[in-house]
Amino acid sequence: MNPSSQFRPYPTRRAVLGAAVAGAALPVLGGCVTGGDDGATEAAAGAKTAENPLGVPDKTPLEVVIFKGGYGDEYAINAESLYKQRYPGATVDHKGMQKVGKALQPRFVADTPPDVVDNTGAGRLDLATLVSAGKLTDLADLLDAPSLDDPARKVRDTLLPGVVEDGTFDGKAQVLNFTYTVWGLWYSKPLFDKHGWTFPTTWDAMLALCEQIKKAGVAPWTYQGKYPEYLNDPLLAMAAKAGGADLVKAVDNLEPNAWKQQPLVDAATAIAELAGKGYILSGSEALSHTEAQAAWSQSQVAIIPCGSWLEAEQKGVTPDGFDMVMAPAPALSGGDKLPQTALQASSSESFIVPAKGKNPRGGLEFLRILFSTTAAKRFAELNSTMPSVAGALEGLTLSSGLGSVKTAVDAAGANTFTYRFRTWYAPLAKAVDDATGELATKRITPAQWSDRVQKAADAVAADSAVKKFQR
Amino acid sequence: MANDRHGRYRFLAGAILPALALYAVFVLSPYAQAFYLSLTDWTGVSGQVQFVGLDNFTRLVRDPLFLAALRNNGLMLVVVPVVTIALGLLLAALVTFGGRRGSAIRGASSYQTAYFFPQLLSLPIIALLWQFVYHPNDGLLNGFLRAVGLDALARTWLGDPHLALWAVMAVLVWSSVGFYMVLFAASMSAIPTEIIEAAVLDGAGKLATLWRIVLPLLRDSVQVAFVYLGVLALDAFAVVQVMTAGPGGPDNATEVIGLGLYRNAFTYSRFGYAAAMGVALFFLTLTLAVLALRAGRRERVELA
Amino acid sequence: MRRAHAFLIAWAAVVTLPLLWAVVSSLKTDREILTSPWSLPATPRFDNWSRAWNQADIGRYFGNSAVVVGCALLLTMLLGATTAYALARYPFRGNRILYFGFVAGMLFPVFLALVPLFFVVKQLGLLGTYPGLILVYTAYALPFTIFFLHAFFRTLPTALAEAAFLDGCSHWGVFFRVMLPLARPGLVTVAIFNFLGLWNQYLLPLVLNPDPDRYVLAQGLAALSVSQGYRSDWSGLFAGLTIAMLPVLAAYVIFQRQIRSGLTAGAVR
Repeated sequence: MNPSSQFRPYPTRRAVLGAAVAGAALPVLGGCVTGGDDGATEAAAGAKTAENPLGVPDKTPLEVVIFKGGYGDEYAINAESLYKQRYPGATVDHKGMQKVGKALQPRFVADTPPDVVDNTGAGRLDLATLVSAGKLTDLADLLDAPSLDDPARKVRDTLLPGVVEDGTFDGKAQVLNFTYTVWGLWYSKPLFDKHGWTFPTTWDAMLALCEQIKKAGVAPWTYQGKYPEYLNDPLLAMAAKAGGADLVKAVDNLEPNAWKQQPLVDAATAIAELAGKGYILSGSEALSHTEAQAAWSQSQVAIIPCGSWLEAEQKGVTPDGFDMVMAPAPALSGGDKLPQTALQASSSESFIVPAKGKNPRGGLEFLRILFSTTAAKRFAELNSTMPSVAGALEGLTLSSGLGSVKTAVDAAGANTFTYRFRTWYAPLAKAVDDATGELATKRITPAQWSDRVQKAADAVAADSAVKKFQR
Repeated sequence: MANDRHGRYRFLAGAILPALALYAVFVLSPYAQAFYLSLTDWTGVSGQVQFVGLDNFTRLVRDPLFLAALRNNGLMLVVVPVVTIALGLLLAALVTFGGRRGSAIRGASSYQTAYFFPQLLSLPIIALLWQFVYHPNDGLLNGFLRAVGLDALARTWLGDPHLALWAVMAVLVWSSVGFYMVLFAASMSAIPTEIIEAAVLDGAGKLATLWRIVLPLLRDSVQVAFVYLGVLALDAFAVVQVMTAGPGGPDNATEVIGLGLYRNAFTYSRFGYAAAMGVALFFLTLTLAVLALRAGRRERVELA
Repeated sequence: MRRAHAFLIAWAAVVTLPLLWAVVSSLKTDREILTSPWSLPATPRFDNWSRAWNQADIGRYFGNSAVVVGCALLLTMLLGATTAYALARYPFRGNRILYFGFVAGMLFPVFLALVPLFFVVKQLGLLGTYPGLILVYTAYALPFTIFFLHAFFRTLPTALAEAAFLDGCSHWGVFFRVMLPLARPGLVTVAIFNFLGLWNQYLLPLVLNPDPDRYVLAQGLAALSVSQGYRSDWSGLFAGLTIAMLPVLAAYVIFQRQIRSGLTAGAVR
């Protein structure tokens, strides 16, 4: 489910309108692929010490460009002041802006980029193009450097699971994402307590609970019907837990009959059961995300699938004392390959260190500071959002929703997964969304669901015009 | 004014060239390029264009989404103009001849003012409004049906593949009836009242009068309406994109050519393929215009 | 007759009720909209409007629309009038080809041009800029403007223009001092139509104007409903809808005589 995370903090998984932007971003650097020359200017470097493991030159200025969107840029200014404390001889040039791509594209072409860039937002630079043109610094030195908080631990080991992989292109870590998004099922804790319901960890228990909820006069489930991809989250998550990493890999690699793997059919069957037993709020299939989420926050519905941004998105319409919490999707069976606590997770807010900057060592050091618990905590406090640094939420007073996200992430540990087919093969993603929408309205059976999606996957696999990826 | 020739050409150049330049750069050249692009596999990266002949078009006729779009646009092409024109004619006739002995009805002007309102709003705004009207639980439409005891008729209008396209068409009709009603009413008020009176005196029924006497006199207006409404029905992009599930759903029940073109171009970066869709749409529009203009046997309408 | 009125009133209700409902909803709180979509607001919340205007950026979108449409309208009228006049009143070789060339633009679907247009505008560095939108709006408004004014200039009497020439007026002088004032009714009508058309543009800005800071009104509202920034704001959305609808409806009520006469003159022709 990466597209959404890349568009945040405009949470446009409903990315139709943002799509124009994505298209616009693609060709931006087309010209610079051939434009660069390798006569690189020698970047400044200082001596490597225990205090300065990356060898940052003390006197060289640092230029930082931050995407100033939903998260503002105060958190970055905070990190910059920490940088200045460590390197009093350096000046830091801070630029907060909305249109990163527009400002930086000519500078990348001219090989005079800033030292570190938060490449996020609608007008960001296309990462794949930057990577293939060799415009980015390999972040291996940073990842292997001792972390700021605990020199015994490498930076790599302080990051939440999947973050390094998310930023790895062509086998090299070139991007570091600062925020962490997980998906799950949301409910109001007080509502559940009032009725004496407990959130189930197995699908059988889920069905039993739904029966109870329905008897209490509340619709058990709803989903953002206008955008059926929301309902894919529980479906694909349950399948991933049952089938493990191999199932996800087979799907992403477009392997033959990947969508006919039993766990996927079982997960589709589970969703079909919800619909078949009347556990989905009637009319859900026509509700937009706001409408479905509003019905849920009015307690007309007990459970809704969504990503961890839900609490922030619902801020204006959540009644007092609603206390929403997120739980991971239930386990399909006792024989699941991943524990029930496993989570679908991905990171976003992409930081890069341009290769041709004047002070790339400083850029790396800035990231080492930003990804420290101190700076990440500050970010979490300012934005009620989970950073991709482990333990960043420790000791903070958290809202109900963010607290539950933290609990879920802690419980998941290393057991996270993410499907990549959505970003790799948009037409396949559409086919899955369409099919899931039909499944949830009982118009197709689980078998037809997997047939349809498999056919779409085969068509993508057979289409020589589509660039293929492997994981 | 022979000595004025120089000034005359300077004037003509000054008067026409700026408009022509703008028109050539932003209208003509894109149209021309579209035909070329439709024969390539361009993905938007400069320097990576390959000529693929008619590949895009052979893909098109096998693309289930495009075929669904063709089907939907085709149905709209029939339904939207016919319903809009029928309603428009009926309302115009009621306003123009609904009064005593075939005169204008009282309050004719107020009716026309109100009917024209939707024409003033842009389609995405109308679509937004109707999304709330169609809301399955709290919407105006189902609320009305339940209020008058017709609960059984309440539906998930935009969530049901059998209804969604009709719901879209209803919005298109709703938004355009007023305009054509005003247009028809203007032409009708130009008809001498004696003709109408004579028909009524002859005992011709009201609908018969409308059908046999008024309609033939409005042939030109109706023909123009058909072309414009046909173009609207071949588009329908804004309403579908803002209002429907997906958009284009549920299950592609409201997919339209424009939406597929937009998606392929600006989401999938398949610009060559999208251009081919544009070319297909162009030929559809052209066929429509030719057919509609042919259908009028009288002298051809002066280009639109 | 009573049946006629009943039918007419029924359609009037179908047309106006959704609009009224939006206006009423724009004055309610989010909770009121969600829990009692039918009732009138307990107290009218005009702060929804100011919030939509300021925080939801409707004010900015409104300003963007005003700048883009205002400039495009001026440019369209200027270029359209001069071209239509020259083509209508000056016979020269290629005149008819030019005229039909311009007018043919009315027949082509914009979708055909969409993809190449995006790249033309991008290559000129005009993507997401005011000038880019203004020039494109103008270019696409020219065919109708020229078509309409061409016919209008043809109907104007020639005697006055000839007298002015004899008085020593230049071609431009005749155009600006004599013909343009004569053509005022036609200019007003076509300007109104162009205003409506341009104000309600959606597809062109959607593709050519990707920068949220420069969104025009229809585009901004649609974006608001799809992503709603970071928070649900229902009343704000209805308030935005109302703000977007009211000026156009007001302009219509003021100008309705011209609009309707222009409509009949233009379309029946």
